[in-house]
Amino acid sequence: MLMVAALYMVFLYVPTEAAQGIVQRIFYFHVPCAWVAFAGFGLVAISGVLYLWLGQDVWDDLGYAAAEVGMVFCTLVLITGSIWAKPIWGVWWTWDSRLTTTLLLWLLYGGYLMLRAAANESPNGARLAAVVGIVAALDVPVVIVSVRLWRTIHPAVLVTKQGGHGLQDPRMVTTLLVAMAAFTVLFAWLLMLRFATLRMRARIDRLTLRLALAEAAAQDI
Amino acid sequence: MTTLALQAHAVSHSFGSVPVLRGLNCDLAPGCAAAIIGSNGSGKSTLVRIFAGLLKPTAGSMVLFGDSRIDRRRLGLLTHQTFLYRNLTARENLEFYAALYGMRNPPQIAAEWIERIGLEALAAYRVRTISRGNEQRLAIARALIANPDLLIMDEPFTALDVAGAELVKGLIAESMERGCAVVLTAHSGATLTAIACERYELSRGRLAADKGT
Amino acid sequence: MTQFRAILGKDLRLEIRSGESTIALIALSLLILVVIVFALSQAGARGTEAGAGALWIAMLFSGMLGAVRALSSERDNGTIYALLVSPVDRTTIYFAKLTAAVVFMAIAEVAAVVLMVLFFNLNFDFGLLRMLPILALGVIGFGALATVLSAVSGHTRMGDLILPVLAVPLYVPALIAGVKASAAMLSGAPFTSAAIWIKILIAFDLLFVGAGYLLFEFVIAEN
Repeated sequence: MLMVAALYMVFLYVPTEAAQGIVQRIFYFHVPCAWVAFAGFGLVAISGVLYLWLGQDVWDDLGYAAAEVGMVFCTLVLITGSIWAKPIWGVWWTWDSRLTTTLLLWLLYGGYLMLRAAANESPNGARLAAVVGIVAALDVPVVIVSVRLWRTIHPAVLVTKQGGHGLQDPRMVTTLLVAMAAFTVLFAWLLMLRFATLRMRARIDRLTLRLALAEAAAQDI
Repeated sequence: MTTLALQAHAVSHSFGSVPVLRGLNCDLAPGCAAAIIGSNGSGKSTLVRIFAGLLKPTAGSMVLFGDSRIDRRRLGLLTHQTFLYRNLTARENLEFYAALYGMRNPPQIAAEWIERIGLEALAAYRVRTISRGNEQRLAIARALIANPDLLIMDEPFTALDVAGAELVKGLIAESMERGCAVVLTAHSGATLTAIACERYELSRGRLAADKGT
Repeated sequence: MTQFRAILGKDLRLEIRSGESTIALIALSLLILVVIVFALSQAGARGTEAGAGALWIAMLFSGMLGAVRALSSERDNGTIYALLVSPVDRTTIYFAKLTAAVVFMAIAEVAAVVLMVLFFNLNFDFGLLRMLPILALGVIGFGALATVLSAVSGHTRMGDLILPVLAVPLYVPALIAGVKASAAMLSGAPFTSAAIWIKILIAFDLLFVGAGYLLFEFVIAEN
């Protein structure tokens, strides 16, 4: 429902931005995706800490689910950003600070997921992934600072509202907020789906184990 | 009543959904030796890793020396991997482990052990160049170097000739007189019968006391 | 402390004994620098910037090998388990391994600096000397990162293949800061002009040495 409302507002309700034209509407997907991708990353790290601390599989599964869904949104951020950048900046990609940060985030997610794929059968996999998730999250602030000092040309929409890049029309703000909410819900929903699948798998493992134990016990007699 | 060297209570372990050990109980008093006999794949190595604290059992409790925190200084471990650095000489390996266990004067201790296991001629050779049997002797000296109070040995007689096996039996007996508890594993009971005071049969993930033979 | 010395001494001895790996490390630095010179000469790169960049790339890749060596020496005969059952605590193992990694990397680094000066027509002068502490910071940061990550990669099916995938993106901020600061030093700018980059490097080092200290226990343990 919220998604439909967001789509309606993005395509029909909100006025077209004067300088950039129709392509500016992608912004209402781009920003929420970015927010959700970062949130996913945070969630990976938090569940990593909780897993190492409490040792419950639930946190491991949550971290895995968050990384997978976060990776999808992070990819969307890069794609929508590129589509917007081509007509506006004239290039698909520049080494601007936020682009670079997002790309690095994407690479870190990729590394984490590759590790999960490579270590999932090992009983250590969960612990290793938790550690890498935490280390990656620690890296993010350093990345942000260093890359920002390195260079930046990205429009600072929400931060400074300078020049022609701000959101002049109040309808734009409303649309952005609705889109944010819609993407947050979408993220949460996808996360729950993946999470439930992983929990289910864990449950299957537990039941298989119980079955194997019962069979072995039957043979004992 | 002295504290038991090893107490395993209802220890179970499974890898994923594959059960390996199911509710094992094992108590071991100082100066005692337990032989664990099991065929390949019966879970011996998993059990050894659990006993040594390298693996946490999925269920059950493991207590060494009556303390839930393992005092690793008192533990000696021999596995089918020899734990020796191939590019260090026999003497350097022993010196390194003596230092690792915080012992005083590692060179002297290493020299003594080299003599006891009869490897004087090979002391300055790198481990990669010596035979498997001699490497096994060295591995046993390594496990014993800090005079442990609990010695866990996974198939200690692998690759040893008759003289080597006798030597190792002598070393184990000597440790037991000192009050060291010993866990030994093997495929078949023959070699261990002479030493062990208790025998267990490990099969299909269960440990059964074996009073026979 | 004796245990720390024992592990470190043993690792250095092993490394010296297999001298070919140190030579391979230096050779790799040489090759990376040469390749970069070939790749950049067309683009007309400026001396100091390109030199600093090439140096840090050489460090990144030779460092990967060097850091892995510190832990791979334990995989040989299951000796990592011998360390784990010994009374040594994990922290001591971590710092011994980190130190070994830093030493291996530093050797390759010294060779790389000399080669950089020759290839990029720089001078052996004061600026070069002032770059050394910055390089040291970079080496420590990478060593800290790679020590933890090579313990991680050692447990996986892919082994050391996964290490660069994890380590390179994590190291990017230090790489940016290191190249900028090194280039500033080489071009004779005062320390203060690179203060912010040096601060980032220090922050990076503290963060990852600290993270390694806290997390090593979890990656080194077997279940």
